[in-house]
Amino acid sequence: MRSNKGTWLLLAPGMLWILLFLIAPLLMMVYVSFWTQTTFAIKPDLTVQSWVNFLGSEIYFGALLRTIRIWFTVLVITLLVGYPVALFIGQFIKNKTLQTALLVTCVIPFWTSFLIRVLAWRPMLGKEGAINILLQKFGFIDAPIEVLLFTELSVIIGMVQIYVVFMVGPIAFMIGRIDESLIESARDLGASARTIFTRIILPLSMPGVIVGAIFVTVMVLGEFATASALSGRKVNLLGNIIITQVGSLKWAFAAVAGVVLTFVMAVFVAIMLRIVNLRNQI
Amino acid sequence: MDKVVSLRWFLGIFTALFVLFLYGPFIVMGILSFQQGPEGGPQFPIISWSSYWYQHVFGLAPPSRIAPLPIGEALLRSLTLAFATMVVTTVMGVLTAQAFRRRFAGSSVVFYSVILGMIVPGVLLGLGMALLADQIGVARNWWSTAFVLHVVYTYPFAFLVMLAIFNRFDESVEEASLSLGVTPAKTFRKVTFPIIFPGVLSAMLFAFTLSYDEFPRTLFTGGSHVTMPLAIYGTFAVEIHPNLFAFGVLTTLFSFALLAIYGVLLTLSTRRQRLRASGLQEDIS
Repeated sequence: MRSNKGTWLLLAPGMLWILLFLIAPLLMMVYVSFWTQTTFAIKPDLTVQSWVNFLGSEIYFGALLRTIRIWFTVLVITLLVGYPVALFIGQFIKNKTLQTALLVTCVIPFWTSFLIRVLAWRPMLGKEGAINILLQKFGFIDAPIEVLLFTELSVIIGMVQIYVVFMVGPIAFMIGRIDESLIESARDLGASARTIFTRIILPLSMPGVIVGAIFVTVMVLGEFATASALSGRKVNLLGNIIITQVGSLKWAFAAVAGVVLTFVMAVFVAIMLRIVNLRNQI
Repeated sequence: MDKVVSLRWFLGIFTALFVLFLYGPFIVMGILSFQQGPEGGPQFPIISWSSYWYQHVFGLAPPSRIAPLPIGEALLRSLTLAFATMVVTTVMGVLTAQAFRRRFAGSSVVFYSVILGMIVPGVLLGLGMALLADQIGVARNWWSTAFVLHVVYTYPFAFLVMLAIFNRFDESVEEASLSLGVTPAKTFRKVTFPIIFPGVLSAMLFAFTLSYDEFPRTLFTGGSHVTMPLAIYGTFAVEIHPNLFAFGVLTTLFSFALLAIYGVLLTLSTRRQRLRASGLQEDIS
């Protein structure tokens, strides 16, 4: 009985913090999405007007579809790019120190300010940017490629570069944990490299893929900075809509966009957590 | 077997290209920070190499039409905020993980609600907090509404790190201390804490760096006095200049210094533990 009380005492500060500063704000956002929006203020008279406006507007509904499209593209690319890298680090590098060193190498760019890292893509992708200069120098192209900057493509490139590490980390961790004797016995029994991959490595690395997918999803769906820095304000994600609405004091409308975003995210994360139990992986 | 070897080569080259991709903007940032000033823009080619933009960051360059970054105040705010976040986060993370060493009803709910803090996008949480603060009539400031959100964000990281540490923790040492009549408080200080110290350091590093760079949560809740990331975000709307890249290089160096301190402290603590352990064995034999 005493120990039980001790447990709750230890939990109290954290739980109180979460309740007041995480749960309450989110509930407030849902609540305000039903408030009445006038030109300059919001009033706590309940209405679904903001919801009707949001779902009925081509601009906002289009932003939702664009957000989902970009998120899905980024998710697939981070997986396709990240998995081979994780496989190499987790399976082909046997030396533990070298393994850690490679992972640390991947994380080091994170010690630069996120915003400055995004901005550094501009001189990289622009019409007179590093990539175009290099490609022209080596004679691959005659005229500079212009679609690289201030398009949806540049937003996707930027996001992949920023978030791919969150895919590599968990997958490499899971692959590195696979018992070596398991693979060796499969090889002794005559399994081909392909069979070893599809029957042993892939299934055992799935929890890493799921965790990585959750990380990438929640980060990309909440994004707005990369889009505003690299698309020249041409690509508006739901996150950007929230920023502009708050800027023009349309709080109720921003709240609607926020709830929609939360909903999309919650559905995806719930599906992912059905597949893997996060708690057992730590 | 040949297939495996060629696969290894393929994946190795792929990984090398991947690292190049990760470091691309990083390298470009470093090169362009030495662009000629003040006429040189944030693009190639480099007109001539100079340290003008570094002087500009420190306010040493002769005045020009390019406004200096608000280094002094905004940076001080960001560092203070990161420090406060680090302290609160680490204490709460250790407490919560300590509670998880015992099984208790509802542990799943507690686990996932803590994790929620790192999962909910910052812009949503910032929006909710701003609405809540306005509703109950609390002024929005970087040291109040923004601070509590920073902790919500970093607390799960500290919690997970500590949970992983406690999972590999040999409880018999603690029990031995307690059964020898040492008080629980002293046992924690003398036995538990030295063992979990590497984890605590990692949690502190996480909390500090995440908070220092955090900005979607701060955007709506920070009030009128901006933190460093907000100041940088402010330059998005207008023209950017290479002084941002110079500042980026400097903050990266600062982060590496933090990382180095972390490494040194970690090595020192493991060495001390090893010494203590070997001393103990000598005493017994």
